Amino acid sequence: MLDIKIAGENSIIIYFGDEISSTLTDEIAFYTQLIKQNLNTLLIDVVPSYTSLLLTYRLGSINYESFSQLVSELINNSDFINQNTQRKTVEIPVLYDESVGFDLAELLKEAHLSLNEFIDLHSGQQYQVHAIGFSPGFAFLGQLDKRIARPRLANPRLSIPAGSVGIADRQTAVYPMASAGGWNIIGRTPLNLTLKDDNSLERFAIGDTVRFKSISKQSYLQQGGKL
Amino acid sequence: MSFQVAKTGLMTLIQDYGRYGYAEKGLSQSGVADEHAFCWANYLLDNHFNDAVLEICFGGIELKALSSSYIAVTGADLGFKINGVSQSLWQVIKVNKGDVLSWSRLIKDRGFRAYLAVKGGVKSALIFNSRSVNARENIGKLVKEGEIIPFDTHSHDIDKRCVPEMYIADYKQDLVLHLIACYQYDQFTEQQKAVFFGEDYQIDPASDRIGCRLIGQKIEQVPEQMISEGISYGSVEITHEGLPIILLKDRPSIGGYPKIGTVFSLDLAKLAQRQATSSVRFRLISLVEAQKKRKEFNAFFGMQL
Repeated sequence: MLDIKIAGENSIIIYFGDEISSTLTDEIAFYTQLIKQNLNTLLIDVVPSYTSLLLTYRLGSINYESFSQLVSELINNSDFINQNTQRKTVEIPVLYDESVGFDLAELLKEAHLSLNEFIDLHSGQQYQVHAIGFSPGFAFLGQLDKRIARPRLANPRLSIPAGSVGIADRQTAVYPMASAGGWNIIGRTPLNLTLKDDNSLERFAIGDTVRFKSISKQSYLQQGGKL
Repeated sequence: MSFQVAKTGLMTLIQDYGRYGYAEKGLSQSGVADEHAFCWANYLLDNHFNDAVLEICFGGIELKALSSSYIAVTGADLGFKINGVSQSLWQVIKVNKGDVLSWSRLIKDRGFRAYLAVKGGVKSALIFNSRSVNARENIGKLVKEGEIIPFDTHSHDIDKRCVPEMYIADYKQDLVLHLIACYQYDQFTEQQKAVFFGEDYQIDPASDRIGCRLIGQKIEQVPEQMISEGISYGSVEITHEGLPIILLKDRPSIGGYPKIGTVFSLDLAKLAQRQATSSVRFRLISLVEAQKKRKEFNAFFGMQL
């Protein structure tokens, strides 16, 4: 299913499906690259997300009809090749502890799990980057095990420290910078994930794989983590 | 070559046309709120269209010129003076070393964002290929007392041009925002659209550079929150409450509220000068018409977009 809609005077949005899945994310990652490679001179910005791709184009070079036709031909004439094996895997060390995981105790109680059982569930699988947004470098990772899924907090916190690892429904993510937010905070990484230069931009891309690794408080502090 | 900030004022930001090419990494577009005033200011000085300026909100700022240069001030009338003497807006002015530039106060119906462009543009550090400050993203900072605002040396005399009367914006006029029917437009019922297009809305004081929130009659039974997707400049979200939020330059790159359409960008420039409690209403515009007007604007100001 391919549905192209107008999104503004110089943008279109392409819908590739209507349900979140890892296959759809791989497909969108593939077509995002393809469009960037082939139509680069016509593009201002691209925003891939769970089921869609927003494209902003140069009005001075092309109009809506020609641009959407070009995009649709390009997608229809190129079969999807799953390139997920060529994408990178990012490992994120995490201290799972109540001192930095403000909602951990509550979550364990509700889920009837021990801390070790929780850690095994959260760090025992790989996640896929479904979308990037909310704040610079904030990667939405799915799908979280149902047993540790939890809805967003009714009252978002005004400030969550940088590096905090959160859970919202069946997604998990790391807050790259301190910000307000409503996710359940379960731990913190000592890594600095703020976007500060072009190298740091390469950290996550849609379709990438992410794994969490449980570390001790000592190791967390050694790696520069703050309590 | 520079200005020094003698008094901070309420809110002054360095802005250029915006940060492009980084939306897929979650960075905002950022950039000037009022493209009309911004483009004229740079045009008068024969600057590049993307040269950085000061976006002065509500006034209160005072700058000391540490070197001579040419400037242009456009946008809101915030009581701009040089050495205590009132100056005209929308024209080139020569500034001498030691001059004190001040913006004193807000005047009803005269807008609230003034633009100070300097010959050659403000040369603050480029961050991700733009000088635009974005407070939400912690990119750059508000202008503060003692800060040096750098610009290039310029020794030649330049023409003292001014903007023709007919192009000087009138911020008192009732504002009609022209909407391109797009995104989830078709998911709204005729009745919901009748409310949206039939009513005057008021600008909520909680509005900012991220979004302009509107207060008015609520749209009932808004479509459910949806899977988050890329949101374009000017797209109009309808919240659970049934009220519109127009997404602006500092918006996040993705969002999950249904959108009834997208406001034509040059109307957003006018919106940028309307204070809280002013009223706005929506009218439809065709995509062809919006693209034609925008292309004319881009061509006139030499914008390679």
